[in-house]
Amino acid sequence: MTAVAASEVLGSRVAGLFVREEAIVVPRAAWVAAAVAARELLAARCFDFLTAVDAAAEGFLVVTGLVAPGGPRLLLETAVPVDDAWVDTLTGVFRGAAWHERETAEMFGIDFRGHPDPRPLLLSDDGARAHPLRKDVALAERVETVWPGSVEPTGAATRRPQVPYGVPPSP
Amino acid sequence: VKVDDAALACCAVEHAAAVAVFGDEAARDGIALGVERPEDANVLVVSGTVTDKLAPDVRALWERIAHPRWVVSFGACANSGGPYWDSYAVTKGVERIIPVDVYVPGCPPRPEALVDAVRGLIGRSRA
Repeated sequence: MTAVAASEVLGSRVAGLFVREEAIVVPRAAWVAAAVAARELLAARCFDFLTAVDAAAEGFLVVTGLVAPGGPRLLLETAVPVDDAWVDTLTGVFRGAAWHERETAEMFGIDFRGHPDPRPLLLSDDGARAHPLRKDVALAERVETVWPGSVEPTGAATRRPQVPYGVPPSP
Repeated sequence: VKVDDAALACCAVEHAAAVAVFGDEAARDGIALGVERPEDANVLVVSGTVTDKLAPDVRALWERIAHPRWVVSFGACANSGGPYWDSYAVTKGVERIIPVDVYVPGCPPRPEALVDAVRGLIGRSRA
């Protein structure tokens, strides 16, 4: 089943969704309803994963993968503004989402509303406050380290000045 | 000399190999490469990647080691963070949380290097 066909089934219950590449994009207000509909209408009973993407100007994209055993794989996605970063928890639909949401919360600073146990999962308390997978967060060691060799010339219009990985280019 | 291993990552496999291959030989010289409880040991070998999340537990383990006590930092991760030197989650060397007596380089070091490091502690004094 293609993403388009799956979105038409979900569309009978959830308004405002559309397909982008392989993902079904859902309004944030319908995030939980879409997961329920996927489970009930498409037999997507198996929670695979939940994570997020820092999509810069678009904000964060929260993504979850759901699988119907023997049937379609679904990617549900919803956009979350950076300055208003929250989405409702899926733990009421899939208990297994709990750890994935804790990891996504600490890595991106997204609040999963209604999560039963929102403690950091993998990072220390300091690490969790830093939200290290946000693209504007630099790796401190990379910034402090003096790099050997010459830096690329900065004058050429087609080439960005070389910066270490993990360090945002200065504006 | 009795050794407890903080087996945090893959370097712990080298420690296990050292115990399996050189354990009997070391025992004849009064070196126990593995003990049941940290209170029975006076050498802590930190073998593997120390993460910030786990660092308090590593320190708590070190506090349980009997006096006089030594610390062997075994492998690149425990020495400096190793390949994870720039990570947001990895402690950049176990020396940041406990004092280290011997650093064993390598990624991973060979099992013989562990035995050599522990032998080198014999005769060294420490409170």
